[in-house]
Order: sequence, then C-alpha cells, then structure tokens
Amino acid sequence: MELLDEDAGLMLRYRDGDVGAFSALYSRHKGPLYRYLLRQVRNAGAAADLFQEVWSRLVATRTRYEPRAKFATYLFHIAHNCAIDHFRRDSKRRTAIRPEDADGQAPEPEVPEHQRPDRVAEFVEQQSALLAALGRLPQEQREAFLLHEETGLTIEEIARVTDVPVETAKSRLRYAIRKLKVSMIPATVPDAGLLRTRAI
Amino acid sequence: MELPDDLDDYLRGASALSRQYRRESAPMPPHALDRSVLESARESARESARGKPRGGSHGKAPYLAPLAFAASVLLSVAMVLAIVFAPQAAKRVDEPPRVIRAAIRVERPSAPRLYSSDPLRARAPSVWLADIAALRRAGREREADAELRRFHRVYPNYVSDDLPMQR
Repeated sequence: MELLDEDAGLMLRYRDGDVGAFSALYSRHKGPLYRYLLRQVRNAGAAADLFQEVWSRLVATRTRYEPRAKFATYLFHIAHNCAIDHFRRDSKRRTAIRPEDADGQAPEPEVPEHQRPDRVAEFVEQQSALLAALGRLPQEQREAFLLHEETGLTIEEIARVTDVPVETAKSRLRYAIRKLKVSMIPATVPDAGLLRTRAI
Repeated sequence: MELPDDLDDYLRGASALSRQYRRESAPMPPHALDRSVLESARESARESARGKPRGGSHGKAPYLAPLAFAASVLLSVAMVLAIVFAPQAAKRVDEPPRVIRAAIRVERPSAPRLYSSDPLRARAPSVWLADIAALRRAGREREADAELRRFHRVYPNYVSDDLPMQR
C-alpha cells in the first residue's frame, strides 16, 4: 500500500503495536494540536482536557485506522469534533445556569465562557495584536486559519477536516486573512474597532 | 479600506501574516500531559498484545479466514446430504396429509393378493378364483395350481362349477 505520508506509516506501525512509532507521531503533532485547541477554545484547562481526549480517541480507534488521507487530516478531524463537542457542552451549560442568575437586575450581556475575565486570565498567551484579532474571529474562520498555519493543510484538506464544502473553507480562510491583516496595520489607521486589544 | 484579495499569495506561505504568526509564542502542552498521553498509548498497546494473538495486521491469525470458510462449506454439504438422505426425506412434498391418505386407501380397490394363503387375509372366493383363472389365461399354470391348492385349504368345502381346475 502506498502511504500518503510518513506519519501514516507511523500510525500503521502503532496500530500494529509499535509504541515507539506513537512517540514519534506524538512529538511531531503535539505542538500544532495543542496550539490549535488552545487558540480555538481559549482556555488552558479546556485545551488540556481536549488535547488528552483527542489522543485518547486516536489510541482507542487505532485498530480501525486506514491511511485514506494525510495523517494530519485524520488527527485534526478528531480534534475538530472534540472542539465542536466542547462548544456545544459549553453553550448548553451557559443556557442551563442562566435562570439562576436572574436576581431582578438587568441581565449582563452574553459573554462567551472563554471571554469571561476569570477565564481570560488563564489565557496568558494572548498578548499581541495579531493573537487578539485571532481571538475575535468567528470560530469557523479562526479554525480555518489555525489549521493552515499550524498544520499546513490545503483548502481541500481543511474542508475535509471541518466537514464543509471546499468553497466554504476557502471563504472562511479568506475572511480570516482579511481581518487579521487589518490587525497588523499600525495603530494610526483609524479602525479602532478592529485594532482594540484586550487588556490582561 | 479596500483590501486586495490575496488568498493565493497567503497560501503560497510567504505572506507577512504567516511570518508574523510564526513569530508569536508557540506554547506546548505541559510535560504532565505528555507523560499521561504517552503512558495511555503504551498501556493500550500492552493490553492489545496481551489480549490478541500476534500475526495479522489486526491481530488475527492469517490462516483463520480460509479455515473458517472451509468449515462452513463442509457443514453446508453435510446438512444438504442429511436432508436428502434422511428417512423422512422419502416423503414427497406433494403427498396428501395422513387423514386424506387413509381415505384414499379405503377407496382404492385392493390389488390382487395372488400368493396369500393366510385365512385371515384371504380374498373372497369369487375374487380368488377369478385371480386363479387370470393366471391360467396368462399361461402361469404352476402358479395357478399352487394358488388353487391354497384356495382349497382356505375354503375346503367350496363347491362351484366355475372352479379353474388344476391341470
């Protein structure tokens, strides 16, 4: 069988019991995967949990692994699904606790879990204008950008990982790039809305 | 501000945006997380090694598949033979049910029992004599004589003008 990449070969070796192959695979992908998750969910604790969950799923399903695509596509598809599950759980939890917060005062504006001040404090990495702008992107656009930057996946591969048509993936990446480029323009440009960075 | 659509330039990998992103900090997972994931992977591999025989790529012995196929074929052939040659297989599927068979037996005229000398199973004299006459017409004289002797043993006092006399 012709392998699509060296990582697929490592995964096949691990599937057949070679733990050393898994170590090599882990070393190559742990950084990109961790940053993808960290910058997606923007919460160090949640990112660590998801990171462990992704590798656990990979280990648990290794006997069914077939190298049909680049290994990174396989790994980050698992990561994408874990992140989506996380966002759903987070959304449900926030919806469930909302009635208890009703104390007669005007409700606070809806703030995503990862943007609450106590959570933001955990996310100590966010210091540059670029990363701040990345954090403000819609989740789908942020994901497309991170997948390309962290793993070098093509548009087609990003579409496969995120289960969307190629044109959708392309459009998401295009919008992400436009918005992030604005964040790189010096502060003298009068676009305060896009250049605002969060004080930590 | 009008921004040029330079997605293609960006995808080639040399854009200022990509360079800027790569200059950002590159956080890595904590060492404790590394240890946990690697230990989990090792443990899973050990469990698989304990639970499955080595051999095929999925832990199955390579000879099991053809062996299982051959066993299935043998079993199928044995079942077919058992069905074909079993005693109950002699029954015809179009044979009527038992009650109907009994009725048919009653209605069916009995075949001539030419060689029966059992008094309990003896035919009526006229029937028997007709059978003997039929044997003589067919040239089976010796059988007809033997049958006539049996007739006299069963019906010693029978007198009739049309007895098919012994020759």
